[in-house]
Amino acid sequence: MKKFTRLSMLLSLAVVLNIIESVIPLFNGYIPGLKLGLANTVILFVLYIYSFKDALYVSILRVILVGILRTGIFSIAFSFSLGGAILSVIMMSLFKKLTKLSIIGISIIGSIFHSLGQIVVAIFLLENVNMFYYLPWLLLFSIPTGIIVGVISKELVNYFEKDLNFSH
Amino acid sequence: MNKKDLMLILIIALISISIIIGYRIFEKEGTKKALVYYENDLVLNIDLSINQERVYYVDGYNGKVKIIADEGKIKVDSENSPLHLCSKQGYISKSYETIVCLPNKVIIKIDTQEDLDAIVK
Amino acid sequence: MKTYLKYIIFSVFIIVVSLNFLSSNNNKLKEYNTNLFYMDTYIQIKIYTTSQIKADNAFTEVEEIYKKYHQLTDRFSTDGGVYYINNNTSTEPIITIDPILYNIIEHGINWYHKSNGLLNINIGNVVDVWKKYRDQKSGLPSINELKDSGDIDINNIILLGNNQIKNNHPNIDLGAIAKGYTTGVVGNYLEQNGIDKYIINAGGNVLVGNHYNNDLYKIGIESPIESGDIYQVVKGNNISVVTSGSYERYYEYDGKLYHHIINPHTLMPSEYMKSVTVITEDSGLADTLSTILFLMPIEEGKEFIKELDNVEAIWFSNDGEIIKSEGFSKYE
Repeated sequence: MKKFTRLSMLLSLAVVLNIIESVIPLFNGYIPGLKLGLANTVILFVLYIYSFKDALYVSILRVILVGILRTGIFSIAFSFSLGGAILSVIMMSLFKKLTKLSIIGISIIGSIFHSLGQIVVAIFLLENVNMFYYLPWLLLFSIPTGIIVGVISKELVNYFEKDLNFSH
Repeated sequence: MNKKDLMLILIIALISISIIIGYRIFEKEGTKKALVYYENDLVLNIDLSINQERVYYVDGYNGKVKIIADEGKIKVDSENSPLHLCSKQGYISKSYETIVCLPNKVIIKIDTQEDLDAIVK
Repeated sequence: MKTYLKYIIFSVFIIVVSLNFLSSNNNKLKEYNTNLFYMDTYIQIKIYTTSQIKADNAFTEVEEIYKKYHQLTDRFSTDGGVYYINNNTSTEPIITIDPILYNIIEHGINWYHKSNGLLNINIGNVVDVWKKYRDQKSGLPSINELKDSGDIDINNIILLGNNQIKNNHPNIDLGAIAKGYTTGVVGNYLEQNGIDKYIINAGGNVLVGNHYNNDLYKIGIESPIESGDIYQVVKGNNISVVTSGSYERYYEYDGKLYHHIINPHTLMPSEYMKSVTVITEDSGLADTLSTILFLMPIEEGKEFIKELDNVEAIWFSNDGEIIKSEGFSKYE
């Protein structure tokens, strides 16, 4: 029950971060889909402290909640986000298991596949292959954004890992 | 950050930079036109070689879409949609760039025609 | 690890710098332009050379060439040349003409025989009849009016050597060859004076030299039915591209268009196609052949140029079909 409460709090934190980020004009424009991805700190945290399943649930619920609150749940933008979020969590979990990347590397992976997932959904829904042209820029920007998100997550995970009971 | 992270960063940087350089090399040079589609029908064909800001309105699904064209570039200035994604995108100028206004079913593409040295008729 | 990083950053840097270097052209040649109006057309000339003085000198000489050839070949230019032959009232049996004009007439007679009479430079009398109707923009000449307009027999142009021609009052019209022939002379002049990079566009008669940027010139062929629509791009250097078509100098009568390229066999405007474009090295030849091909059916034309070296053509048929000669792809 304690875990459930904590995950709910984390979920609302992710939603708030997501909304805050979409209001900050810094990353709007220029390249579609370019974001700092602050909500990913929460997802990474859940992935490291809890499990893949929990991270997936939080991620999907976050997209649905943001969708309800801001974009509407059946909009195209919602499908993009969902595609990006799911692919990102799956790939972060896979790379975490199969490689020796630190949480910063995993954060970069998450950032990359978040973009990639959005692009793939966009190509299917818009039937517009041109979206792929933004990929190299999104890849390049995933490095700094991934590092920033990764460093924050690392500190968070280190801090809470001391509290051994947190995950139970 | 460990060595593996650094390797990952280098690989990503190299891949993306080489693709970007590749775009630069293969980008078509010539006279640019913007093609504006509504529901896949061509509704506007705008010459982008003119050095003057021009404003166009296209009937989108949710109302008027305001488009601004200038020399070599084009953008959606305002439109009615929940997120305003396509007006936030700003100017596009390369032959591989597109603006997609999904809620309004409007797509803008850039078409580059090779410059001709002479024309016979 | 850090040393690897240095190497990788360094190599990326080198690649970027070298690419920038490659793409910027440190070409000392500059582009110079001039526009002339001779032979009833605007002539645009672009040359690439090192200084304004050289360009100005070249342009002055080029203008002299067009001016002189215009005077010699234009039927209505009373300064001499072909007008002097056509309208000679003297009783002298032989007249001496400018060697330039002599050579052009000889070129015309040669191609009369090679084209089985399709290119006829003694067709001035028939052309005059059609011009009268075109100027008044209505009516049609009867076949008798065309036939009775005067002699069109090529054998009445008698060249005697030494720039001499028999004074037996032909009506020579060099409209089908003069523009291309002169443009070729201008191209030769430029090359002999060290300017090998140039583009001349004399109203649909295009001649290009070497490319200014080690590339190929791109010459668009405009659709004869839709102005502004380029249906084919020709790429090449040291080539001439000339189009003959039914869409220039025409008039409409009774819902039908009558243009200016007359078939000497029928005395009527030729209607085998909308237009034909010839590509070959020699500008005078390209102009001559475009008229000849316009006067024969497309299939016959394809066979006709097979016999010639380095001549390609593209036809725009009456129903809008685009037909290319066998070796055309080398210019695509």
